[in-house]
Amino acid sequence: MIEVQNLTKRYGPFTAVDDVSFRVERGEILGFLGPNGAGKTTTMRVLTGYMPATDGKAMVAGYDVFTHPIEAKQRTGYLPETPPLYPEMTVRDYLTFVARIKAGALRRAERDARVQQVMRTTRIDDMAHRACGKLSKGYKQRVGLAQALIHEPEVLILDEPTAGLDPKQIMETRDLIRSLGGDHTIVLSTHILPEVAQTCQRVVIINKGKVVAVDTPENLTHQLKGSASLYVQVEGRTSAVEAIQDIPGVRRAFISDQHDAYTGYEIESEPNHDVRRDVARVLVTGGWGLIELRPMRMSLEEIFLQLTTNEQAEEARHG
Amino acid sequence: MGNLVRNVTAIAGKEMRGYYGSPVAWVLMGFFAVVFGYFFNVYLNFFVDQAMRGGQFGAPPPMHVNTDMIRPLLANASVLVLFMLPMITMRSYAEEKRSGTIELLLTSPVTDLEITLGKFLGAVSVYAGLLAVSLIPILILFSLGDPEWKPILSGYLGLLLLGSCFLALGLFVSSTTANQVIAGGVTFVVALMFWIINWLADSAGPTFGPILNYLSVTQHFDDFGKGVIDTTHLVFYLSFIAFSLFLTLKSVDSERWRG
Repeated sequence: MIEVQNLTKRYGPFTAVDDVSFRVERGEILGFLGPNGAGKTTTMRVLTGYMPATDGKAMVAGYDVFTHPIEAKQRTGYLPETPPLYPEMTVRDYLTFVARIKAGALRRAERDARVQQVMRTTRIDDMAHRACGKLSKGYKQRVGLAQALIHEPEVLILDEPTAGLDPKQIMETRDLIRSLGGDHTIVLSTHILPEVAQTCQRVVIINKGKVVAVDTPENLTHQLKGSASLYVQVEGRTSAVEAIQDIPGVRRAFISDQHDAYTGYEIESEPNHDVRRDVARVLVTGGWGLIELRPMRMSLEEIFLQLTTNEQAEEARHG
Repeated sequence: MGNLVRNVTAIAGKEMRGYYGSPVAWVLMGFFAVVFGYFFNVYLNFFVDQAMRGGQFGAPPPMHVNTDMIRPLLANASVLVLFMLPMITMRSYAEEKRSGTIELLLTSPVTDLEITLGKFLGAVSVYAGLLAVSLIPILILFSLGDPEWKPILSGYLGLLLLGSCFLALGLFVSSTTANQVIAGGVTFVVALMFWIINWLADSAGPTFGPILNYLSVTQHFDDFGKGVIDTTHLVFYLSFIAFSLFLTLKSVDSERWRG
Protein backbone atom coordinates (compact mmCIF):
# COMPACT_ATOMS: atom_id res chain seq x y z
CA MET A 1 0.00 0.00 0.00
CA ILE A 2 2.90 2.31 0.81
CA GLU A 3 6.27 1.84 -0.72
CA VAL A 4 9.24 4.06 -0.02
CA GLN A 5 12.41 3.49 -1.99
CA ASN A 6 15.75 5.12 -1.26
CA LEU A 7 14.09 8.29 -0.12
CA THR A 8 16.48 11.18 0.51
CA LYS A 9 15.64 14.71 1.51
CA ARG A 10 18.24 17.44 1.89
CA TYR A 11 17.78 20.97 3.12
CA GLY A 12 20.82 22.67 1.69
CA PRO A 13 23.81 20.86 3.16
CA PHE A 14 21.72 19.14 5.85
CA THR A 15 20.40 15.66 5.09
CA ALA A 16 17.14 15.15 6.97
CA VAL A 17 16.26 11.78 5.45
CA ASP A 18 19.00 9.58 4.13
CA ASP A 19 18.24 6.69 1.77
CA VAL A 20 15.19 5.43 3.62
CA SER A 21 13.27 2.42 2.27
CA PHE A 22 10.32 0.55 3.74
CA ARG A 23 6.98 -0.99 2.80
CA VAL A 24 3.63 -1.00 4.51
CA GLU A 25 1.10 -3.69 3.62
CA ARG A 26 -2.62 -3.08 3.30
CA GLY A 27 -4.35 -2.85 6.66
CA GLU A 28 -1.12 -2.73 8.61
CA ILE A 29 -0.27 -0.25 11.37
CA LEU A 30 3.34 0.79 11.13
CA GLY A 31 5.09 2.69 13.88
CA PHE A 32 7.70 5.22 12.98
CA LEU A 33 9.97 5.53 15.94
CA GLY A 34 12.80 7.93 16.49
CA PRO A 35 14.03 10.79 18.63
CA ASN A 36 13.09 14.36 17.78
CA GLY A 37 14.80 15.50 14.62
CA ALA A 38 15.29 11.97 13.31
CA GLY A 39 13.48 12.70 10.06
CA LYS A 40 10.04 11.27 10.91
CA THR A 41 8.10 14.42 10.06
CA THR A 42 10.10 14.99 6.89
CA THR A 43 9.42 11.44 5.68
CA MET A 44 5.72 11.88 6.39
CA ARG A 45 5.65 15.21 4.62
CA VAL A 46 7.11 13.60 1.54
CA LEU A 47 4.59 10.75 1.73
CA THR A 48 1.68 13.20 1.96
CA GLY A 49 2.92 15.28 -0.96
CA TYR A 50 3.59 18.32 1.21
CA MET A 51 7.13 18.47 -0.06
CA PRO A 52 9.05 16.69 -2.80
CA ALA A 53 11.97 14.40 -2.05
CA THR A 54 15.49 15.25 -3.19
CA ASP A 55 15.94 11.69 -4.36
CA GLY A 56 14.15 8.37 -4.34
CA LYS A 57 10.56 7.38 -4.77
CA ALA A 58 7.41 7.12 -2.69
CA MET A 59 4.27 5.30 -3.77
CA VAL A 60 0.98 5.58 -1.93
CA ALA A 61 -1.96 3.36 -2.90
CA GLY A 62 -0.28 2.66 -6.22
CA TYR A 63 0.40 6.29 -7.12
CA ASP A 64 3.75 8.03 -7.15
CA VAL A 65 3.33 11.02 -4.82
CA PHE A 66 5.53 13.15 -7.01
CA THR A 67 4.19 12.42 -10.48
CA HIS A 68 0.54 11.84 -9.47
CA PRO A 69 0.11 14.01 -6.39
CA ILE A 70 -3.65 14.55 -6.72
CA GLU A 71 -4.47 10.84 -7.00
CA ALA A 72 -2.17 10.01 -4.09
CA LYS A 73 -3.61 12.79 -1.93
CA GLN A 74 -7.17 11.64 -2.61
CA ARG A 75 -6.21 8.37 -0.93
CA THR A 76 -4.22 9.77 1.96
CA GLY A 77 -5.41 11.25 5.23
CA TYR A 78 -2.82 13.25 7.11
CA LEU A 79 -2.73 14.54 10.65
CA PRO A 80 0.26 16.87 11.02
CA GLU A 81 2.02 17.39 14.33
CA THR A 82 -0.19 20.37 15.12
CA PRO A 83 -3.78 19.81 13.97
CA PRO A 84 -4.31 22.24 11.06
CA LEU A 85 -7.41 24.03 12.37
CA TYR A 86 -8.84 27.44 11.55
CA PRO A 87 -9.53 28.89 15.00
CA GLU A 88 -12.52 31.02 14.00
CA MET A 89 -14.41 28.21 12.23
CA THR A 90 -16.79 25.92 14.07
CA VAL A 91 -15.97 22.22 14.04
CA ARG A 92 -18.80 21.47 11.64
CA ASP A 93 -17.91 24.32 9.26
CA TYR A 94 -14.29 23.30 9.33
CA LEU A 95 -15.01 19.66 8.51
CA THR A 96 -17.42 20.74 5.79
CA PHE A 97 -14.71 22.88 4.23
CA VAL A 98 -12.18 20.04 4.39
CA ALA A 99 -14.75 17.70 2.86
CA ARG A 100 -15.23 20.17 0.03
CA ILE A 101 -11.56 20.27 -0.89
CA LYS A 102 -10.81 16.60 -0.20
CA ALA A 103 -13.98 14.91 -1.37
CA GLY A 104 -15.28 17.51 -3.80
CA ALA A 105 -17.31 15.02 -5.78
CA LEU A 106 -19.74 14.49 -2.91
CA ARG A 107 -23.14 16.10 -3.14
CA ARG A 108 -24.22 18.36 -0.33
CA ALA A 109 -26.39 15.76 1.44
CA GLU A 110 -23.67 13.09 1.21
CA ARG A 111 -21.13 15.58 2.48
CA ASP A 112 -23.23 16.53 5.48
CA ALA A 113 -23.76 12.86 6.25
CA ARG A 114 -20.02 12.21 5.99
CA VAL A 115 -19.22 15.09 8.34
CA GLN A 116 -21.74 13.75 10.82
CA GLN A 117 -20.27 10.29 10.54
CA VAL A 118 -16.63 11.26 11.19
CA MET A 119 -17.71 13.43 14.08
CA ARG A 120 -19.33 10.35 15.59
CA THR A 121 -16.32 8.13 14.90
CA THR A 122 -13.95 10.56 16.57
CA ARG A 123 -16.51 11.49 19.27
CA ILE A 124 -16.56 15.20 18.69
CA ASP A 125 -20.25 15.59 17.78
CA ASP A 126 -20.91 17.35 21.08
CA MET A 127 -18.54 20.12 19.97
CA ALA A 128 -19.96 20.55 16.45
CA HIS A 129 -20.86 24.21 17.00
CA ARG A 130 -17.82 25.20 19.05
CA ALA A 131 -15.12 27.32 17.38
CA CYS A 132 -12.00 25.20 16.73
CA GLY A 133 -9.80 27.72 18.51
CA LYS A 134 -11.77 27.31 21.73
CA LEU A 135 -11.40 23.52 21.97
CA SER A 136 -9.22 21.68 24.47
CA LYS A 137 -6.03 20.04 23.28
CA GLY A 138 -7.65 16.60 23.23
CA TYR A 139 -10.58 17.77 21.15
CA LYS A 140 -8.32 19.64 18.74
CA GLN A 141 -6.40 16.44 18.16
CA ARG A 142 -9.63 14.55 17.49
CA VAL A 143 -10.88 17.20 15.08
CA GLY A 144 -7.50 16.81 13.37
CA LEU A 145 -8.11 13.10 13.12
CA ALA A 146 -11.65 13.66 11.85
CA GLN A 147 -10.23 15.93 9.17
CA ALA A 148 -7.82 13.18 8.10
CA LEU A 149 -10.66 10.65 7.85
CA ILE A 150 -13.20 12.76 6.02
CA HIS A 151 -12.51 11.53 2.49
CA GLU A 152 -12.35 7.88 3.61
CA PRO A 153 -8.70 7.51 2.64
CA GLU A 154 -7.04 4.13 2.28
CA VAL A 155 -3.90 5.41 3.94
CA LEU A 156 -3.64 7.36 7.17
CA ILE A 157 -0.49 9.20 8.12
CA LEU A 158 -0.44 10.45 11.69
CA ASP A 159 2.40 12.55 13.00
CA GLU A 160 2.69 12.15 16.77
CA PRO A 161 -1.05 11.62 17.24
CA THR A 162 -0.85 11.41 21.04
CA ALA A 163 1.65 14.19 21.71
CA GLY A 164 0.54 16.56 24.43
CA LEU A 165 -2.53 14.58 25.48
CA ASP A 166 -3.32 13.45 29.01
CA PRO A 167 -3.13 9.71 29.82
CA LYS A 168 -6.86 9.11 29.40
CA GLN A 169 -6.92 10.87 26.04
CA ILE A 170 -3.85 8.91 24.98
CA MET A 171 -5.61 5.62 25.73
CA GLU A 172 -8.68 6.74 23.81
CA THR A 173 -6.67 7.89 20.83
CA ARG A 174 -4.74 4.62 20.69
CA ASP A 175 -7.97 2.63 20.85
CA LEU A 176 -9.35 4.73 18.04
CA ILE A 177 -6.24 4.21 15.92
CA ARG A 178 -6.30 0.47 16.55
CA SER A 179 -9.94 0.34 15.54
CA LEU A 180 -9.10 2.17 12.30
CA GLY A 181 -6.41 -0.37 11.39
CA GLY A 182 -7.59 -3.10 9.07
CA ASP A 183 -9.79 -0.77 7.05
CA HIS A 184 -6.96 1.70 6.74
CA THR A 185 -3.26 1.37 6.27
CA ILE A 186 -1.72 3.49 8.99
CA VAL A 187 1.69 5.01 9.51
CA LEU A 188 2.10 6.78 12.82
CA SER A 189 5.16 8.44 14.21
CA THR A 190 6.05 8.73 17.84
CA HIS A 191 8.94 9.11 20.18
CA ILE A 192 7.02 7.39 22.95
CA LEU A 193 8.00 3.77 22.91
CA PRO A 194 5.19 1.93 24.70
CA GLU A 195 2.91 3.44 22.11
CA VAL A 196 4.48 1.40 19.34
CA ALA A 197 4.27 -1.83 21.30
CA GLN A 198 0.61 -1.17 22.02
CA THR A 199 -0.65 0.00 18.67
CA CYS A 200 1.68 -1.12 15.91
CA GLN A 201 2.27 -4.40 14.14
CA ARG A 202 5.61 -3.32 12.79
CA VAL A 203 8.18 -0.73 13.76
CA VAL A 204 10.62 1.29 11.72
CA ILE A 205 13.25 2.81 13.94
CA ILE A 206 14.81 5.87 12.42
CA ASN A 207 17.68 7.95 13.69
CA LYS A 208 19.46 10.86 12.06
CA GLY A 209 17.57 10.25 8.85
CA LYS A 210 18.54 6.60 8.54
CA VAL A 211 16.51 3.46 9.14
CA VAL A 212 18.14 1.61 12.01
CA ALA A 213 15.79 -1.34 12.30
CA VAL A 214 12.53 -2.66 10.87
CA ASP A 215 10.71 -5.42 12.71
CA THR A 216 7.76 -6.34 14.88
CA PRO A 217 7.90 -4.97 18.41
CA GLU A 218 8.15 -8.58 19.75
CA ASN A 219 11.04 -9.49 17.49
CA LEU A 220 12.93 -6.35 18.34
CA THR A 221 12.63 -7.13 22.01
CA HIS A 222 13.56 -10.73 21.36
CA GLN A 223 16.44 -10.01 19.07
CA LEU A 224 18.19 -7.90 21.62
CA LYS A 225 17.20 -9.89 24.65
CA GLY A 226 20.49 -11.77 24.69
CA SER A 227 22.57 -8.66 25.05
CA ALA A 228 22.75 -6.30 28.00
CA SER A 229 20.49 -8.67 29.69
CA LEU A 230 22.03 -9.78 32.96
CA TYR A 231 22.02 -8.28 36.40
CA VAL A 232 24.11 -9.87 39.20
CA GLN A 233 24.55 -8.87 42.78
CA VAL A 234 27.48 -9.98 44.95
CA GLU A 235 28.21 -9.42 48.60
CA GLY A 236 30.26 -6.49 49.80
CA ARG A 237 32.11 -3.77 47.96
CA THR A 238 33.87 -5.73 45.28
CA SER A 239 35.22 -5.38 41.82
CA ALA A 240 34.56 -8.42 39.72
CA VAL A 241 34.36 -6.52 36.47
CA GLU A 242 37.55 -7.93 35.01
CA ALA A 243 36.75 -11.49 35.99
CA ILE A 244 33.34 -11.20 34.38
CA GLN A 245 34.67 -9.60 31.24
CA ASP A 246 37.06 -12.52 30.75
CA ILE A 247 34.11 -14.88 30.37
CA PRO A 248 33.65 -15.79 26.71
CA GLY A 249 30.52 -14.25 25.23
CA VAL A 250 30.51 -11.25 27.53
CA ARG A 251 30.75 -8.04 25.65
CA ARG A 252 30.89 -5.65 28.53
CA ALA A 253 30.35 -5.53 32.26
CA PHE A 254 30.08 -2.59 34.59
CA ILE A 255 29.08 -1.75 38.14
CA SER A 256 25.54 -0.42 38.11
CA ASP A 257 25.04 0.16 41.82
CA GLN A 258 27.26 -0.21 44.87
CA HIS A 259 26.54 -0.25 48.59
CA ASP A 260 28.45 -1.48 51.64
CA ALA A 261 26.38 -4.64 51.65
CA TYR A 262 26.50 -5.52 47.98
CA THR A 263 27.64 -4.55 44.50
CA GLY A 264 25.41 -4.81 41.45
CA TYR A 265 26.74 -5.50 37.96
CA GLU A 266 25.14 -5.24 34.59
CA ILE A 267 26.47 -7.62 32.01
CA GLU A 268 26.03 -7.27 28.28
CA SER A 269 26.55 -10.42 26.29
CA GLU A 270 27.01 -11.02 22.61
CA PRO A 271 23.74 -11.69 20.85
CA ASN A 272 22.56 -15.30 21.13
CA HIS A 273 25.02 -16.15 23.89
CA ASP A 274 23.52 -17.26 27.15
CA VAL A 275 26.28 -16.48 29.62
CA ARG A 276 24.28 -16.97 32.82
CA ARG A 277 25.75 -20.38 33.64
CA ASP A 278 29.33 -19.21 33.08
CA VAL A 279 28.85 -16.02 35.05
CA ALA A 280 27.45 -17.95 38.01
CA ARG A 281 30.28 -20.48 37.86
CA VAL A 282 33.02 -17.86 37.68
CA LEU A 283 31.56 -15.84 40.53
CA VAL A 284 31.02 -18.84 42.81
CA THR A 285 34.40 -20.46 42.14
CA GLY A 286 36.08 -17.06 42.41
CA GLY A 287 34.81 -16.71 45.95
CA TRP A 288 32.41 -13.86 45.43
CA GLY A 289 29.21 -14.19 47.38
CA LEU A 290 26.59 -14.36 44.68
CA ILE A 291 23.29 -12.99 45.95
CA GLU A 292 21.26 -12.49 42.85
CA LEU A 293 21.37 -13.22 39.16
CA ARG A 294 18.52 -12.32 36.86
CA PRO A 295 18.00 -11.55 33.18
CA MET A 296 16.99 -7.99 32.44
CA ARG A 297 14.16 -7.93 29.96
CA MET A 298 14.75 -4.98 27.75
CA SER A 299 11.94 -2.63 27.23
CA LEU A 300 11.46 -1.22 23.80
CA GLU A 301 12.72 1.99 25.26
CA GLU A 302 16.10 0.48 25.97
CA ILE A 303 16.25 -1.18 22.58
CA PHE A 304 15.61 2.12 21.05
CA LEU A 305 18.25 3.81 23.14
CA GLN A 306 20.69 1.07 22.38
CA LEU A 307 20.05 1.11 18.67
CA THR A 308 20.44 4.80 18.43
CA THR A 309 23.45 5.07 20.73
CA ASN A 310 25.20 2.24 18.91
CA GLU A 311 24.63 4.17 15.77
CA GLN A 312 26.23 7.20 17.34
CA ALA A 313 29.17 5.18 18.61
CA GLU A 314 29.70 3.78 15.16
CA GLU A 315 29.60 7.21 13.66
CA ALA A 316 32.14 8.43 16.19
CA ARG A 317 34.45 5.58 15.24
CA HIS A 318 34.21 6.39 11.57
CA GLY A 319 35.03 9.94 12.50
CA MET B 1 -12.28 22.27 -15.37
CA GLY B 2 -15.23 21.37 -13.15
CA ASN B 3 -12.79 20.42 -10.43
CA LEU B 4 -10.96 23.71 -10.79
CA VAL B 5 -14.10 25.78 -10.35
CA ARG B 6 -15.29 23.60 -7.47
CA ASN B 7 -12.01 23.75 -5.56
CA VAL B 8 -11.45 27.45 -6.22
CA THR B 9 -14.97 28.23 -4.97
CA ALA B 10 -14.43 26.12 -1.85
CA ILE B 11 -11.19 27.92 -1.01
CA ALA B 12 -12.53 31.37 -1.87
CA GLY B 13 -15.52 30.66 0.36
CA LYS B 14 -13.25 29.64 3.21
CA GLU B 15 -11.20 32.81 2.75
CA MET B 16 -14.28 35.03 2.88
CA ARG B 17 -15.47 33.21 5.96
CA GLY B 18 -12.08 33.92 7.49
CA TYR B 19 -12.29 37.63 6.68
CA TYR B 20 -15.86 38.11 7.82
CA GLY B 21 -15.42 35.76 10.77
CA SER B 22 -12.69 37.99 12.18
CA PRO B 23 -12.95 41.75 12.76
CA VAL B 24 -10.64 42.53 9.80
CA ALA B 25 -13.25 42.86 7.07
CA TRP B 26 -15.72 44.74 9.28
CA VAL B 27 -13.17 47.21 10.59
CA LEU B 28 -11.94 47.91 7.06
CA MET B 29 -15.48 48.28 5.82
CA GLY B 30 -16.39 50.70 8.60
CA PHE B 31 -13.24 52.73 8.09
CA PHE B 32 -13.74 52.87 4.35
CA ALA B 33 -17.38 53.94 4.76
CA VAL B 34 -16.46 56.76 7.13
CA VAL B 35 -13.54 58.13 5.12
CA PHE B 36 -15.30 57.77 1.78
CA GLY B 37 -18.35 59.46 3.25
CA TYR B 38 -16.18 62.32 4.43
CA PHE B 39 -14.62 62.78 0.98
CA PHE B 40 -18.06 62.59 -0.56
CA ASN B 41 -19.26 65.35 1.72
CA VAL B 42 -16.26 67.56 0.99
CA TYR B 43 -16.57 67.19 -2.79
CA LEU B 44 -20.31 67.64 -2.70
CA ASN B 45 -19.99 70.91 -0.79
CA PHE B 46 -17.20 72.07 -3.05
CA PHE B 47 -19.21 71.22 -6.14
CA VAL B 48 -22.33 72.98 -4.88
CA ASP B 49 -20.24 75.96 -3.82
CA GLN B 50 -18.53 76.25 -7.20
CA ALA B 51 -21.78 75.87 -9.11
CA MET B 52 -23.43 78.63 -7.06
CA ARG B 53 -20.48 80.99 -7.38
CA GLY B 54 -20.32 80.37 -11.12
CA GLY B 55 -23.98 81.34 -11.34
CA GLN B 56 -23.33 84.68 -9.64
CA PHE B 57 -21.09 85.98 -12.43
CA GLY B 58 -23.31 85.60 -15.41
CA ALA B 59 -22.39 82.69 -17.63
CA PRO B 60 -21.63 79.74 -15.33
CA PRO B 61 -18.56 77.67 -16.21
CA PRO B 62 -19.58 74.32 -17.61
CA MET B 63 -19.68 72.05 -14.57
CA HIS B 64 -20.71 68.47 -14.50
CA VAL B 65 -21.31 66.22 -11.57
CA ASN B 66 -19.42 63.38 -13.27
CA THR B 67 -16.27 65.23 -14.17
CA ASP B 68 -16.15 67.68 -11.31
CA MET B 69 -17.29 65.58 -8.46
CA ILE B 70 -17.37 61.84 -9.01
CA ARG B 71 -14.09 61.65 -10.89
CA PRO B 72 -11.96 63.33 -8.21
CA LEU B 73 -13.88 61.40 -5.58
CA LEU B 74 -12.98 58.08 -7.14
CA ALA B 75 -9.37 59.20 -7.56
CA ASN B 76 -9.32 59.83 -3.83
CA ALA B 77 -10.87 56.44 -3.16
CA SER B 78 -8.01 54.88 -5.10
CA VAL B 79 -5.54 56.40 -2.61
CA LEU B 80 -7.57 55.00 0.22
CA VAL B 81 -7.46 51.59 -1.42
CA LEU B 82 -3.67 51.73 -1.53
CA PHE B 83 -3.56 52.08 2.24
CA MET B 84 -6.23 49.54 3.04
CA LEU B 85 -5.69 46.58 0.76
CA PRO B 86 -2.41 45.40 2.28
CA MET B 87 -4.46 44.74 5.41
CA ILE B 88 -6.71 42.35 3.51
CA THR B 89 -4.01 40.17 2.00
CA MET B 90 -1.43 40.24 4.75
CA ARG B 91 -2.95 37.22 6.49
CA SER B 92 -3.67 35.05 3.50
CA TYR B 93 -0.55 32.91 3.27
CA ALA B 94 1.42 34.25 6.23
CA GLU B 95 -1.16 33.20 8.79
CA GLU B 96 -1.62 29.75 7.24
CA LYS B 97 2.11 29.23 7.43
CA ARG B 98 2.34 30.44 11.01
CA SER B 99 -0.51 28.29 12.25
CA GLY B 100 0.37 25.24 10.14
CA THR B 101 -2.94 25.11 8.27
CA ILE B 102 -0.95 25.45 5.05
CA GLU B 103 -0.15 21.75 5.59
CA LEU B 104 -3.84 20.97 5.23
CA LEU B 105 -4.11 22.86 1.94
CA LEU B 106 -0.88 21.51 0.46
CA THR B 107 -1.72 17.88 1.33
CA SER B 108 -5.29 18.08 0.03
CA PRO B 109 -6.06 16.94 -3.50
CA VAL B 110 -6.13 20.48 -4.86
CA THR B 111 -3.50 22.14 -7.03
CA ASP B 112 -1.40 25.12 -5.99
CA LEU B 113 -3.11 27.12 -8.73
CA GLU B 114 -6.53 26.38 -7.23
CA ILE B 115 -5.34 27.49 -3.80
CA THR B 116 -3.86 30.73 -5.15
CA LEU B 117 -6.90 31.56 -7.28
CA GLY B 118 -9.20 30.77 -4.38
CA LYS B 119 -7.28 33.04 -2.05
CA PHE B 120 -7.17 35.78 -4.67
CA LEU B 121 -10.88 35.64 -5.41
CA GLY B 122 -11.67 35.55 -1.70
CA ALA B 123 -9.69 38.74 -1.19
CA VAL B 124 -11.27 40.37 -4.27
CA SER B 125 -14.74 39.59 -2.91
CA VAL B 126 -13.94 41.32 0.35
CA TYR B 127 -12.63 44.29 -1.60
CA ALA B 128 -15.75 44.31 -3.78
CA GLY B 129 -17.71 44.46 -0.53
CA LEU B 130 -15.81 47.62 0.41
CA LEU B 131 -16.58 49.19 -2.96
CA ALA B 132 -20.22 48.25 -2.60
CA VAL B 133 -20.38 50.27 0.62
CA SER B 134 -19.04 53.31 -1.23
CA LEU B 135 -21.81 52.99 -3.79
CA ILE B 136 -24.40 54.05 -1.24
CA PRO B 137 -23.53 57.78 -1.27
CA ILE B 138 -23.17 57.63 -5.06
CA LEU B 139 -26.69 56.27 -5.33
CA ILE B 140 -27.89 59.19 -3.23
CA LEU B 141 -26.50 61.46 -5.96
CA PHE B 142 -28.82 59.80 -8.43
CA SER B 143 -31.78 60.78 -6.31
CA LEU B 144 -30.55 64.39 -6.11
CA GLY B 145 -29.33 64.95 -9.63
CA ASP B 146 -28.81 63.26 -12.90
CA PRO B 147 -25.28 61.90 -13.16
CA GLU B 148 -24.28 59.65 -16.04
CA TRP B 149 -23.93 56.07 -14.90
CA LYS B 150 -21.51 54.88 -17.57
CA PRO B 151 -18.41 56.80 -16.36
CA ILE B 152 -19.28 55.75 -12.82
CA LEU B 153 -19.33 52.13 -13.91
CA SER B 154 -16.01 52.42 -15.73
CA GLY B 155 -14.56 54.26 -12.73
CA TYR B 156 -15.56 51.43 -10.46
CA LEU B 157 -14.19 48.89 -12.91
CA GLY B 158 -10.90 50.80 -12.77
CA LEU B 159 -10.97 50.79 -8.97
CA LEU B 160 -11.67 47.07 -8.93
CA LEU B 161 -8.79 46.35 -11.31
CA LEU B 162 -6.38 48.68 -9.54
CA GLY B 163 -7.23 47.13 -6.19
CA SER B 164 -6.98 43.61 -7.59
CA CYS B 165 -3.41 44.41 -8.64
CA PHE B 166 -2.57 45.31 -5.05
CA LEU B 167 -4.35 42.22 -3.78
CA ALA B 168 -2.40 39.96 -6.13
CA LEU B 169 0.80 41.73 -5.13
CA GLY B 170 -0.14 41.38 -1.46
CA LEU B 171 -0.80 37.68 -1.93
CA PHE B 172 2.67 37.23 -3.35
CA VAL B 173 4.34 39.14 -0.51
CA SER B 174 2.29 37.20 2.03
CA SER B 175 3.43 33.92 0.48
CA THR B 176 7.06 34.79 1.17
CA THR B 177 6.75 35.21 4.93
CA ALA B 178 5.06 33.72 7.99
CA ASN B 179 4.72 37.14 9.63
CA GLN B 180 1.59 39.03 8.67
CA VAL B 181 2.83 42.40 9.90
CA ILE B 182 5.85 42.13 7.61
CA ALA B 183 3.57 40.96 4.81
CA GLY B 184 1.32 44.00 5.23
CA GLY B 185 4.18 46.50 5.53
CA VAL B 186 6.13 45.22 2.56
CA THR B 187 2.99 45.08 0.42
CA PHE B 188 2.26 48.70 1.24
CA VAL B 189 5.77 49.85 0.39
CA VAL B 190 5.87 47.96 -2.91
CA ALA B 191 2.37 49.13 -3.86
CA LEU B 192 3.39 52.70 -3.04
CA MET B 193 6.38 52.33 -5.36
CA PHE B 194 4.13 51.31 -8.24
CA TRP B 195 1.96 54.26 -7.32
CA ILE B 196 4.56 57.01 -7.42
CA ILE B 197 6.98 55.51 -9.91
CA ASN B 198 5.87 58.01 -12.60
CA TRP B 199 7.03 60.92 -10.43
CA LEU B 200 10.51 60.01 -11.55
CA ALA B 201 9.46 59.77 -15.19
CA ASP B 202 10.15 63.43 -16.00
CA SER B 203 13.71 63.28 -14.78
CA ALA B 204 14.43 59.80 -16.07
CA GLY B 205 15.13 60.84 -19.64
CA PRO B 206 13.51 59.84 -22.90
CA THR B 207 14.23 56.11 -22.68
CA PHE B 208 13.19 55.29 -19.14
CA GLY B 209 10.60 57.98 -18.73
CA PRO B 210 7.87 56.24 -20.75
CA ILE B 211 8.68 52.89 -19.12
CA LEU B 212 8.29 54.33 -15.64
CA ASN B 213 5.09 56.02 -16.74
CA TYR B 214 3.79 52.74 -18.09
CA LEU B 215 4.56 50.90 -14.85
CA SER B 216 2.66 53.40 -12.73
CA VAL B 217 -0.65 51.93 -11.67
CA THR B 218 -2.21 55.38 -11.33
CA GLN B 219 -1.49 56.42 -14.92
CA HIS B 220 -3.68 53.57 -16.07
CA PHE B 221 -6.45 54.50 -13.69
CA ASP B 222 -7.09 58.03 -15.03
CA ASP B 223 -8.85 56.95 -18.21
CA PHE B 224 -11.24 54.70 -16.32
CA GLY B 225 -12.22 57.73 -14.23
CA LYS B 226 -12.99 59.63 -17.43
CA GLY B 227 -15.27 56.86 -18.58
CA VAL B 228 -12.86 55.44 -21.12
CA ILE B 229 -12.18 51.70 -21.08
CA ASP B 230 -8.97 51.37 -23.06
CA THR B 231 -7.64 47.89 -23.78
CA THR B 232 -4.07 49.08 -23.09
CA HIS B 233 -5.02 49.68 -19.49
CA LEU B 234 -7.04 46.49 -19.24
CA VAL B 235 -4.06 44.56 -20.54
CA PHE B 236 -1.75 46.30 -18.09
CA TYR B 237 -3.89 45.51 -15.06
CA LEU B 238 -4.65 41.95 -16.08
CA SER B 239 -0.97 41.23 -16.79
CA PHE B 240 0.00 42.78 -13.46
CA ILE B 241 -2.47 40.48 -11.70
CA ALA B 242 -1.46 37.40 -13.68
CA PHE B 243 2.23 38.02 -13.11
CA SER B 244 1.77 38.53 -9.36
CA LEU B 245 -0.26 35.35 -9.07
CA PHE B 246 2.39 33.52 -11.09
CA LEU B 247 5.05 34.73 -8.63
CA THR B 248 2.85 33.57 -5.76
CA LEU B 249 2.64 30.10 -7.29
CA LYS B 250 6.40 29.97 -7.72
CA SER B 251 6.94 31.17 -4.18
CA VAL B 252 4.67 28.46 -2.73
CA ASP B 253 6.37 25.87 -4.88
CA SER B 254 9.88 26.90 -3.85
CA GLU B 255 8.76 26.89 -0.22
CA ARG B 256 7.81 23.26 -0.77
CA TRP B 257 11.28 22.38 -1.91
CA ARG B 258 13.00 24.26 0.86
CA GLY B 259 10.59 22.96 3.48
